[in-house]
Amino acid sequence: MSTSGTLAKKSVTHAVIIALVLLNIAPLLIVLSSSLRSPRNMTDPLDWFNELTLASFRSAYTRMHFPTALWNSVVLTVLSVLFVVLLAAMAAYPIARIRSKVSKFLYIFFLSGLVVPGQMVLIPIIQMIKGLGIPMSQYTPILMFITCSLPFSTFLYTGFIRSSVPEEIEEAAHIDGAGLFRRFWQIVFPLILPVTVSVVITQGVWIWNDYFFNMVFITKAADAPLPVAMLGFLGDQQNPAQWNVLFAACILCALPLLVAFLSLQKYFVGGLTVGSVKG
Amino acid sequence: MNSAVMKKTMYFFVLPALLFYCLFWIVPILKLFQYSVTDYNGYVQKFSYVGLDNFTKLFHEEILGLSIRNTLIYTFITVVAGNLIALALAFLLNANIRAKGIYRSAFYIPTLFSAIVVGFIWSYVYMPDDGLIASIMNKIGITGLDTNFLGSYSKALYSIIAVDIWKNIGTSTIIFLAGLQTVPQDLIEAGKIDGAGRWKLVRFIKIPLLATSITINVTLSVINGLKAFDYPFIMTNGGPGTSTNTLIFTIYKMAFTDQQFGKASALGIISFALIIVITSVFVFTLNRREVAA
Repeated sequence: MSTSGTLAKKSVTHAVIIALVLLNIAPLLIVLSSSLRSPRNMTDPLDWFNELTLASFRSAYTRMHFPTALWNSVVLTVLSVLFVVLLAAMAAYPIARIRSKVSKFLYIFFLSGLVVPGQMVLIPIIQMIKGLGIPMSQYTPILMFITCSLPFSTFLYTGFIRSSVPEEIEEAAHIDGAGLFRRFWQIVFPLILPVTVSVVITQGVWIWNDYFFNMVFITKAADAPLPVAMLGFLGDQQNPAQWNVLFAACILCALPLLVAFLSLQKYFVGGLTVGSVKG
Repeated sequence: MNSAVMKKTMYFFVLPALLFYCLFWIVPILKLFQYSVTDYNGYVQKFSYVGLDNFTKLFHEEILGLSIRNTLIYTFITVVAGNLIALALAFLLNANIRAKGIYRSAFYIPTLFSAIVVGFIWSYVYMPDDGLIASIMNKIGITGLDTNFLGSYSKALYSIIAVDIWKNIGTSTIIFLAGLQTVPQDLIEAGKIDGAGRWKLVRFIKIPLLATSITINVTLSVINGLKAFDYPFIMTNGGPGTSTNTLIFTIYKMAFTDQQFGKASALGIISFALIIVITSVFVFTLNRREVAA
């Protein structure tokens, strides 16, 4: 009796969740089904998966210069994330270790940058970049990706070093004659790997998906990463005749992160929660 | 801690980050204060100081109140609805069932999409006549309702708010779920022995223990809401009229379309003050409650 009771209860839970999941991803399912139609198939999108062809994908692939855009996205994201990890981990180390007014100030100083939106300060930023004589190129957005990632990343690293890297470990190394640099790189840095995973994932995803700084700084089509390549389809969403190709482009744009997520799922889930459960 | 190990020379580690942060973030923000009292147009490096004219003008224009109102509505709904839905989902997904991981991923997937792609997809969902919602309503025989979501003065703002919630719900759900998984089982058992019903377990044990996750999620969504820009920019271009002008969208439009960077900077300063005040109120209240719990 009681087992059949729990079984019934579980089925209800499953049914409720599945209904919610379907509601949640319904737009994505229609997008997927339309992207698998030929560009000319204008039947009702709700009549889903009535054709399976890659014709629209081929068209979107050429129009957005997929291989170039993908490569540009990879370069921008990898370089930015590399610098974010280095700079934020280093900055967090003294902030977490030294207890003084200066370190407290630095902590708040970095964190408060989180509330300022980039759109607001764009013009002074462009002036600063020009004033420093930095040329506008494919790599210019990296400066902003690093800068905008610092507040949250430094916050995560500081919290983790404070709570999970005991100072005693460093004392031992100090007695063995290890200098500051060696102590940081050989002892502390390996121990904060969970936060590094978290920083790579949370910052990597926003940098990969950002269209704003890329759109502002990148002027040549050949330099455009995936989200900027998508801007070329602007306006097509108003025209049902263009939907199949547009949706194929949407899927292509999202595909690399989807693949990364599905193959590294546990790191994604762990990375999101490192700083949040025990802040 | 003994000072031989933790020396002040450690501060050298902050310098590279500090350099980037000051050059490309802090100095530009300070520049806003300077430009807010000028008639700078953002292009020609020639301007004169006009005192508080920009502020006075802003306070006499409708757009200020309107943008603030839109931003507050946007923030309020994304914070309240977004977190309540995410919390409910987390409780649901925390049940002892199979395939939890798959369900969780299904809710998380939209967060991986670029705002630009999300904007395209939802423009289709909201299209009048041919869009997803319109055609589903046609199919099940509901007619006569206005399906022009993005073109309607009264509905456009709420429509883009829904998109924002849809995109971010996965992250909040995962953070709540992780919080729920740290609730010790013996505390639940103890509660049950004391005769607490399901609602009381949630109210008096689970929610207080979720305090940290709630603080994180609410703070992040408050900041996200106050900075709202993407969907007005991609989906509605602020329209129809000015009905989806959020503060940041208005600043952007003023600076780049109207080429009034001085005035845009003044609005930036006002938004800045507003964001700081609201965020600090939230952070302080939530932190106090967290300690109390």
